Amino acid sequence: MLEKLEEVKRNIQREIKSITALKDAEQLKIKYLGRKGIIHDFMKLIPSLPAEQRAAIGQRINSLKAEVTHTVEELSLKAEVTHTVEELIKKFSGEATSKAKHEVFDITLPGKRPLVGKKHPLTQTIDDIKEVFARLGFDVVYGPEVESEYYNFEALNIPADHPSRTDFDTFYIKNDILLRSQTSTVQIRVMEKQKPPIRIIAPGRVYRPDTVDARHSFMFHQVEGLLVDEGVSFADLRGVLNQFIKTYFGQDVQMRFRPSFFPFTEPSAEVDISCSLCKGSGCSVCSYSGWVEILGAGMVDPNVFKSVHYDAEKYTGFAFGMGVERITMLKYGINDIRLFYENDIRFLSQF
Amino acid sequence: MKISYNWLKEYVNFYLSPQELADKLTNAGLVVADIHSVEDDFCLDVEVTSNRPDCLGVIGIAREVATMVGASVQLPETNYINTNIDVSKLISIAVEEPILCPHYTARIVRHITVKPSPDWMQKRLKCIGLRPVNNIVDITNYVMMETGQPLHAFDLDKLSDQRIIVRRARGGEEIVTINGASRALFHDMLVIADSKRPVAIAGIMGGKDTEVSASTRNIHLECAQFEPRQVRRTSKVTGIASDSSYRFERGVDPEGVELASKRAVKLIKDLAEGEVANGNIDVRLERYETKKITLRVERLNKVLGLEIKRIKRTVASDILKRLQFNVINEVDTFIDVEVPSHRGDVNREIDLIEEVARIYGYNNIPTKTSISVRGSVKSKYEIVEDSVRQFLIGIGYYEAKTFSIVDASPLQSVNLWSDKGGIDIANPLRQEESRLRTCLLPSLIHTKIYNMNHGVERVKIFEIAKVYLAGEKLPQEKTCLSILADVDYLTLKGIVESLLTCLGITSKCEWMIFGGSILFKADRSAKIQLGNNVLGYIGEAKELELKTSPCMVELDMDLLVKMSNFSKKFQTLSQYPPVLRDLAIIVDEEATWASIEKCIAATNVSYLTGINFFDIYRGKQIPSGKKGIAFNLCFQAQDRTLKSEEADIALQKILNALQETLGGELRKQ
Repeated sequence: MLEKLEEVKRNIQREIKSITALKDAEQLKIKYLGRKGIIHDFMKLIPSLPAEQRAAIGQRINSLKAEVTHTVEELSLKAEVTHTVEELIKKFSGEATSKAKHEVFDITLPGKRPLVGKKHPLTQTIDDIKEVFARLGFDVVYGPEVESEYYNFEALNIPADHPSRTDFDTFYIKNDILLRSQTSTVQIRVMEKQKPPIRIIAPGRVYRPDTVDARHSFMFHQVEGLLVDEGVSFADLRGVLNQFIKTYFGQDVQMRFRPSFFPFTEPSAEVDISCSLCKGSGCSVCSYSGWVEILGAGMVDPNVFKSVHYDAEKYTGFAFGMGVERITMLKYGINDIRLFYENDIRFLSQF
Repeated sequence: MKISYNWLKEYVNFYLSPQELADKLTNAGLVVADIHSVEDDFCLDVEVTSNRPDCLGVIGIAREVATMVGASVQLPETNYINTNIDVSKLISIAVEEPILCPHYTARIVRHITVKPSPDWMQKRLKCIGLRPVNNIVDITNYVMMETGQPLHAFDLDKLSDQRIIVRRARGGEEIVTINGASRALFHDMLVIADSKRPVAIAGIMGGKDTEVSASTRNIHLECAQFEPRQVRRTSKVTGIASDSSYRFERGVDPEGVELASKRAVKLIKDLAEGEVANGNIDVRLERYETKKITLRVERLNKVLGLEIKRIKRTVASDILKRLQFNVINEVDTFIDVEVPSHRGDVNREIDLIEEVARIYGYNNIPTKTSISVRGSVKSKYEIVEDSVRQFLIGIGYYEAKTFSIVDASPLQSVNLWSDKGGIDIANPLRQEESRLRTCLLPSLIHTKIYNMNHGVERVKIFEIAKVYLAGEKLPQEKTCLSILADVDYLTLKGIVESLLTCLGITSKCEWMIFGGSILFKADRSAKIQLGNNVLGYIGEAKELELKTSPCMVELDMDLLVKMSNFSKKFQTLSQYPPVLRDLAIIVDEEATWASIEKCIAATNVSYLTGINFFDIYRGKQIPSGKKGIAFNLCFQAQDRTLKSEEADIALQKILNALQETLGGELRKQ
């Protein structure tokens, strides 16, 4: 019995050496370890052996069994890679193996792409802006687009017949109801409902009766920002906007504040960034100035606080507003604002 | 405002190239939008914000330049020799509306020679885009551009009775203005009239009849102030926007009349000869009172956020002095100033803070990064909006953005959400954009057509935007999600169903026959009911010159937000295998899947965990008027392997119910 087992072991070792493919290893496994395999045959003989031999023979069979299992496993692992490729070739070339063995699977054929859509580029910009300001603790709020003159003008320190109204041509619905010409309306709506501290941004659609051309649209998007608390300063405004600009446009982009005028802020500023296209050396995008205007900002005017019954001596705040189309056009070098509303798939799919 | 580089140099000494000057002005808040050379001069196009009418004259710009370079402003020559004849003997003035015309002055020059103005003056006017007319008209324009104070010269001999009355227009009055246009005048307009008729629309434009012409010998030089809002209203109503109205609307220097009037007379005397009458007629409502403001040094630094490198009191007061503020009192903690009359925009401490900051340099103020820590949480609306977008772009849909203002065509007038009409714009630019939309789908159809015409045959698009429904005072703004895609009805319906699952909306929708509209095909459209609310409308698009027949859906986004539920709880996975039973039943053509589902649900059989439709068929084996529906049922227990017999009992119960309720017969294989 033991001799026979030794002979089996020698056979196994010899056969292992000649194994080259996975299927050979599988066959070896079946031949020795299978239900009708040689080792199984030995096992069946055990009960008929004398009791004193059973343990030794059993042990021997078990170790042989372990050896075969181990070897087959190792061989399988090695063969697996080759095997997978073989299988794939077979699968993709159909009956190629039988009919035309020389056909080769072309791994460079184009992949089968699932269709994926895109968010509108303006949504992407708004989302990016929201993301930056959310990390600075700003909540996102929305306000109505159809507004009363009070929210669009009076409460924002733009009295009727004031010359600054010229800067805010507006679509009217009737009497004192209009389409908001700026998202600053949301400032008032939020401050009416809430006491400081306030930290919000308000994205949304705004409307101005401008004839449509490459630079103008009667409808466009703005994002308004407002922060009100005790001790908020112009330096904080500069800090927050600098943070936004560096995050959104890039660490090497420079910021410049220019004095300007908005009825609802004092001091007011227009904020430029160094032209990312020409790096400040001058090009057509920046009108050869090296700077491009991206937003308006300032400290909330005490008259605005008055209209929402805040104590302007105790609280200070800053506000800013930016045009989403403008920023998107700058970022991607888009030269015509109308593209945003034509929704040509060839345009939308680029972003 | 356009200014001439050479002209500016007449009032202030500076050593800056046109470009350097432009940069400095831009950084001080006067954006120079353009510089171009005109002969031996440069024209700078300065954007003057509406709060700074004092910069609507070269002298005003010179004041800014002087502040920046530390120079002083040289005012122009105004001395002239006059005759002994008093102005009051030559003209009479009556101001009937002193509120609307708080200041009116008249000076008279007689025996003038009207001729072209000298080259140097013509050159400057041309440089800033003004057309030279004759010496008198050119001088009034020149002095307006110099001082910012508009003037008007009348032909004295053409003024009836040499009388000027500043009054409201009377009904039925008309005037032909110097540009030749005839205007009807109304009672709310202020006019300059002689004893018979209006001769000018106050502050806006003079009349043709009394203008200075080649034959003019004697002139009345008007230099006045008009109430800004009055001028603005009249300018809007008449549609006349002049250099004069532009300045009066914004407000001129209340103390500026004297300088401008004398300066103009001086130039007339020099360039048109003539004899200047003695003195002037000056009708003034009230004396100008100088504004006094206190600037607290502490407040200045606090608002600007300067802590270590503070602006010292001396620095602040120096800046204000350079800006021609009169410092009347100055101690460590505050500065009292008198505001120069030309700075109508400076009324409060915060305005002084801006002035100091502006000259100190906005960019010299640090960028502080010490705002307090605050957590921001996404609102439910934002979460839903993000989820919807992510879901749709993930399955291949593009987001569109279309205009909220549309035309009033029948297609755009579709209103799925309300019986009331659309909201019209009172002052539309074009008929194409004259109404707020009540439905997003027509815009998506237009987007589809646009793409079709540009070579993209099939589209999958969506938009999240508002529709505007007539309401009480303000309209109701309803946010909608609309989808248009070249897919079939069931595919789009499936997308809606998956979307609801994605938003955690587990309540079942009812899909009810909608009956079609201008948008949808009657037999392939549905109203989607979610609980007691209408979630939206879905259907196949009618043939609207589309090559394909896309499907569309418009959903109430606000309802999606309300019903969405993102709280999740883990459910134990069953250890035990399900028992599946396929069945095919034959029912009447009219029987709906919904009725089958409802019937099965009503049996309340145990262990039923799923009903999955997989086919509907009609054919030879099926009697006419009937259809076969194939589906499978899934039975599963959480705590043990369900026995086949248990499933069979349940199945039988279901088959019985289908038979009783719908007459459904099990189809024999």
